[in-house]
This record gives sequence, structure tokens and C-alpha cells, in this order.
Amino acid sequence: MASSFQPESPTSKRVRIVVATSVMLTFISYWRAAAIVLNDLGSSAFYAAGIAEQAVGKSAPWFIVGVMLFSFTVRAVYVESCSMFVRGGVYRVVKEALGGTLAKISVSALMFDYILTGPISGVSAGQYIAGLINDVFITADTHGWIPQAVHSLFHGTPRFNVNGTAVAFGVAVTLYYWWQNTKGIQESSEKALRVMQITTVMVVMLLAWSALTLAKNGYQPVPLPTPQNLHFSPESLGFLRHSYADQDLARLFGFFGILIAFGHSVLAMSGEESLAQVNRELAHPKLKNLKRAAIIIAIYSFVFTGLTALLFVMIIPDSVRVPIYKDNLVAGLAMYMWGPQLLRLAFRAFVVVVGFLILSGAVNTAIIGSNGVLNRVSEDGVLTDWFRQPHPRFGTTYRIINLIVLLQLFTILASRGNVYVLGEAYAFGVIWSFTFNSLAMLVLRFKYKGERGWKVPPNFRIAGREIPVGLASVFLVLLSIAIVNLFTKSIATVAGVSFASVFFLIFTVSERVNRPKHALAEQQMKEHFQLLQSDTVERSGLGIRQGNVLVTVRDYNTMGHLKWVLERTETKEQDIVVMSARISQFGAAAYALSTEQIFSDYEQRLFTRAVSVAESFGKHVSLLVVPARDIWSVIVQTAMNLESSAVVTGVSSKMTPQEQAFELGRAWEAIEEPKRQFVLQIVHPDLKTVDTFHIGPHTPAMKTEDVHLVHRLWLNITREPGLGSLHHHDILTEALTRFARDYAGRDREDILKELHKTGKTVTTRRLGGNGGRGSEPPASKEKPVPKKGDGGPNSPPVVSP
Amino acid sequence: MSVFVTVAIRVLEAMFFIGGIGATLVLILTGIEDIETLLGADDSEHH
Repeated sequence: MASSFQPESPTSKRVRIVVATSVMLTFISYWRAAAIVLNDLGSSAFYAAGIAEQAVGKSAPWFIVGVMLFSFTVRAVYVESCSMFVRGGVYRVVKEALGGTLAKISVSALMFDYILTGPISGVSAGQYIAGLINDVFITADTHGWIPQAVHSLFHGTPRFNVNGTAVAFGVAVTLYYWWQNTKGIQESSEKALRVMQITTVMVVMLLAWSALTLAKNGYQPVPLPTPQNLHFSPESLGFLRHSYADQDLARLFGFFGILIAFGHSVLAMSGEESLAQVNRELAHPKLKNLKRAAIIIAIYSFVFTGLTALLFVMIIPDSVRVPIYKDNLVAGLAMYMWGPQLLRLAFRAFVVVVGFLILSGAVNTAIIGSNGVLNRVSEDGVLTDWFRQPHPRFGTTYRIINLIVLLQLFTILASRGNVYVLGEAYAFGVIWSFTFNSLAMLVLRFKYKGERGWKVPPNFRIAGREIPVGLASVFLVLLSIAIVNLFTKSIATVAGVSFASVFFLIFTVSERVNRPKHALAEQQMKEHFQLLQSDTVERSGLGIRQGNVLVTVRDYNTMGHLKWVLERTETKEQDIVVMSARISQFGAAAYALSTEQIFSDYEQRLFTRAVSVAESFGKHVSLLVVPARDIWSVIVQTAMNLESSAVVTGVSSKMTPQEQAFELGRAWEAIEEPKRQFVLQIVHPDLKTVDTFHIGPHTPAMKTEDVHLVHRLWLNITREPGLGSLHHHDILTEALTRFARDYAGRDREDILKELHKTGKTVTTRRLGGNGGRGSEPPASKEKPVPKKGDGGPNSPPVVSP
Repeated sequence: MSVFVTVAIRVLEAMFFIGGIGATLVLILTGIEDIETLLGADDSEHH
């Protein structure tokens, strides 16, 4: 079917497709990377200590501190895995070391972790909000601010059902992020950084005010973490409580009690996996920046989660700490600071705002992370392609997102807003994904012979063989806790094992069902397409000329803009490149994609359609698949690399053409020099309306009367003595210089007023040039563009920059 | 408590204890490296 598209290899009947294997990423600094991880890791500070104290008693903070110190070593394992595989997530590492079956088991545990992250964060945020509202009511009531009518209506002080409100809030936040992810809104490192900046302000205030409170009010001692000081609740002993209910458990268990308590505190370090996910996006020098990010993460989470856990017990009285504030301890801490009550209440409101930001962000991270993991295993043939069908309007993997969100909503409703239950279950996924990862890393020390940037110390050599003492130690601790948790966390064990087993079963059955279909699809692909792997996108790789037209495609049902280009382009003079970007978010970037995975069943269908459209015009198109983190960056970067003169795309379902052009212009500003201008053409579905935008600085389109004005001025000025040799552009230069001076000076307001008056306020945002600081001429728009044969331009079809 | 349970508990305790000592070493050694990294003394992008 595609023989006419093989100029470079006449012997082959297959269509050549260049598959770029490197994701085109917008690299981020280690600060931003740390912020992204801390949005997940830091959120546990809001609930981990409360859960641990309910399970093991008042000495729980010491175990939280111990876990946070231990998290430094878990972080070291992740740094080593990231130094071996740039996308070193659990699935990649375990599959490499232990094979597909254990990789599926580890991913099932990780999925459990992700599915639980959303509900625990959403419900916890709801607990903080409901707690604040109730305390505001109490304070207002004590001051007599509550009207009598309201008082009678509630039969006393108005009060929200805390767990009910937490469930409602958790459901609302999950549904909000479900819709955001269905629409495919990109996660921004900028937002994560802002959230962490606000959180840092809160943490600093919290620590400083706590220090003042301790100095003024004294403190309650935190019992040392000895077996005698452990007071396990019946729930915290899980299956063991039935066996040893009447015995002195602390005396009976001894040192083993420490393990149980440690196991109940382990969820304080949940979120370390995110480190592997952001590694791919880290700027050069990668390893050094990874280490820096890891240090920031470890120190920050130690201070925030570890030290505040101690402060909870030191400052909040025993009588209220667990009974009232167990699910919102940070808010409780704010309420027991030294100082006036209204100030404390105001600070508590600030704590709730920060908690809302960081915890709801964790809900989003959970959806993104699980979507990334399921996409990854789906691409591996472990889930059927049905799951990966793109949304007809937004192009996202909405079926996977729906599945994740349904599971999360079920979890929220089943928990009835009980953070303790959610935390118990959550720990299962956390500890087992860490354990699998460290086991895999240990195996890879003997198995993997490739490059390794860094190793967990210490490592000793005995008889020429390296013994990874540090790595083995971390694994031993994790494994011992994971096994103990199996017996002491009955909710986690039942829920986790059931969930992981169901997922493992789905993976295994899907893989079996998929195998023949995948083999057939692969066979068909081999027959029709020839995949040419390339690390980068280069003109030479595609065999195309400078000044080509880059056409972006995403949905095989909307190829109108490709037809529009084919109608107007003489391919003997100008090449057409059809590009599909495979977008991967933070979560997905952690997993390596092979050529076949990047060019999957969907891309095969997409390009088959593109080729058949091109064939119907009898014209040749070059095909390109590029994995990317950000759609705008990848379009700009590809246009730069291919030296394209124009980029043609369809109208987005999510944004206006002006917004599309603005995003592209912003991506153009962000890339490094040298860069060239190009034209963006957005073709509407009617194929008659086309919005044209110049990307990068360009000569503005001038109205006829303005040209006449310049000419008249030139005529007058050249009559002046000594100015006869002046050019038109000299007039413009002088006029613009004066305008810029006036605009920068005291005439700014007058100029803006004048522009408003004449209706020439710049409404279109700038698409390149001076860094977005000033007003720019609106992007030129030309519509409709006439078709070839009806008086329109033949080739190129686009407006020259 | 059955012998099997006692042995299993002792094995887990031993794993945790030995692992804990090793993890403390990891903590100290990586802590030293971290300080060097923060001070800019670590230039080992590729070993």
C-alpha cells in the first residue's frame, strides 16, 4: 500500500518511520526536582505521626525520626538505581533483575501504593478542613458570635461530621483531578516549587513558634523507644492479637516490638519512588543534581516529618492529642502554641491551606503516577490495548484514568474517612515496592555489567568479589519490616494481597490474551513499516530538505489539517513531515520505552491513516514519532532540528488557536540559541479558516495607511537640508526609538490610554521576541487561505516568516 | 509460642539488627558524601 513512499529504499515495500528514542524533555533544576518529590513525600507529615501514635503509643515520634533517618539509606538505593537506568523506576529495575513475573508483582504493590496515596491525601486534607471549621465554630460560640437560631438548629455549637466531610472532600478532590487528567493538563514543576515555598514558610514558622512555646511553656517528655514504652493498640497487632491477646505484649515481644513499631511508622517515608520518576527530567550534570535533589529531599522531610512528630508530643497535651487531633496533628500543634488564641487560629488556617495544597497535589501525583505505570505495562503487552485507547476529544488514556479513579473513590468510600485505616493499608504498598526495588538492586550488583554512576557504600572486596554490604543491609531492614507488617497490619495484608493478586491476575491474563494479537500486530507492523531508531531528530535521518512543513497529528479521526497541507504543497519542492508526539508525564518518564513501545498499536493505526491520506493525494510524506514530556517543547524543538519553515496543526479541543500559539511561542522562548523563526498555521475543521501566527521575532504586517504615513514622513524629512540620503527604515528606527523612550518614561500612561482609545490594545499575547515583557503587535492572522488552483499560493502553502 | 514462631521472630530480629548496623554505616558514609556534594567537592559525574 505504501510503495510510493519509499524513495530511499526501492527494494523495500515498507514505509520508513523515524522513531526518536530520546524523550524531548524540558530539563529542570534540582530544586524543582526536589519540590516535585517533596510534594509527595512531605504530604505524609500531615498524617504519619498520628497513625503511628495510635498504633504504638506515645514513643511513636522516635520511630518516625528513625524511619526518616532510614529514608536517607532508601534514597541512596534509588540514587544508585537512577545512576544505572536513567528511567530507573521499580518496574524497570525489577524486570531487569528478577524477570517479568516479579516485575508484575512489584508493579501490583506499587499500584496499591499509588491507589492509596490519593485517598489518604484527600481524606487527610478533608480532616484538616473539617477540624478547622469545627474549631472556628467553637471559638465563635465562646465569643457569642453564633446566632441563637443557628445554635438551636444544631442543638448547640454547629459542628460538621469530620469523617463525613473528609470523605466528601476526598471524593471532590479526586473527581477534580480525574477531570484534569482526562483533559490532559500538564503537571508543572513551577507549581510544585511554589507549593514547597509556601510549605517552607509554614515549616519555618512552625519550628520557630514551637521553639518559643517550648521556652515559655516547657514540654512533655517523649518516652524513649524501648519495649517497655510501647503500647500497642489491638488493631496494631493485626493477626498477632488473636494469638497473644492476654499477655504482656511488650515483655513478650521485646526487641521484636521495636520492629513492629518501626513497621507502623514506615509510611512516613512514602514518596521516595517519585525520585526515580523525576530523575529523567534533571538537568546536566545529572548525577550530581540527582544527589543534590536527594539531599534536599532527605533533610527537608527529616525536619518536617521527623522533628514535627516530636513536637506534637512535646507540645500538644495528652488529653487532646490522640482523642481530638490524631488526624490533624499539625493543626493541633498550631492550636497549642504560646500566644493569643486568634493568632493561633489564624496560623491553623494557614496550616490547613498549606495542607490542602500539598495533600491535594499528592492526589494528582497519585493519578499521574498510576496512569504512567499502567501505560508502561500496557505498552509492554501486559494490559490489553483497550485500556490505552485515547479519549476521542482529549487524546488521554482515559480508560486507565477512569479505572484508577474508580478504585480510589471506592477506597475513600470504604474507608469512611478513617485516616488510620487508610494509613495501615497504604504502608503495604510502600514497604513492598521499596523491598522489591532494593532486592532487585542487590541482584543487579552481581548481574548488571553496564555503567553505574554511583554505588551505595560500603562495599568490600573479598577474594576479588565485591560484597555490597550497604545495599544488603538496607534490603535486610526493609525485608524484615515487610514480613513483620504482613502479620501486624492485617488490614494492609488482606487489602494489599487481594489488590495485588487481582492486579497480578489481570496482568497475567491480559498478557496471555494479548500475546497472539501482539504477535500479529508486530507482524503487520514489520510488513508495512520500517522503524528507524534514532537518538535525536535530524533532517538527515529523515532525508528531507530545509524549509519543510511539519504537520502534527494525534487522532486518526482528525486528519483534516494534513489534507489541507497536502492540497497546497508541491512535495517536489517542499517536504512534508508528519509527526506524532508520544507524551509521557512525570510518572511515565521513569520507564524506559523501546522503539516498539514508542511506535505502538495506536501509532501504527495513526500512521496507516496518515499514509493513506497522503497516498490519496499521490504525495510523499515523511513520518516521525517523538517521545516527549511537553507537547509544545517537542514541536518547537523538532521544527528547529528539521529547519522547518512552517508547523501545521489542527484546532485543539482544549484551547483556542491564540492559546495554542501562545504556548508554542513560550516554548520557542525557552529553547536555547541558535533558533529560527517559523510560521504556525492552525487549520479549523471546516478546512477554510486558518489562523496564522509568526513564531519568533518577525517583521510585522503593516497597514497600507501606515506605509503611506512612513512614505509621507520620508518625503518631508528628505527635503530638509543634509537628510536627502535618508531611507524609510531610518524613519521607522527614529520613530520606534522615540516611542520606546516615551513608553519607558512618564508618557507610558498616555500611550496606553491612547491605544485603548483607538481600540488597538494588544489582546494577543506575544509569541516571541523580547521575553514577554512588553506589548507586541498581534500575531498576524490570515483567513481563509485559498486553495491551490483558486488563486492561492502553490508552494509553500504557508506565509513566509 | 511455638518453636517455629520463636525462631522466625529471632531471625527477623537478627535481620533487622544486622541490617540496622549496616544501614547506620550507609547513613554515615552517604552523609559525608552529601556534605562534600553540598560543598561542591564531588565532581564524580562518571566513575
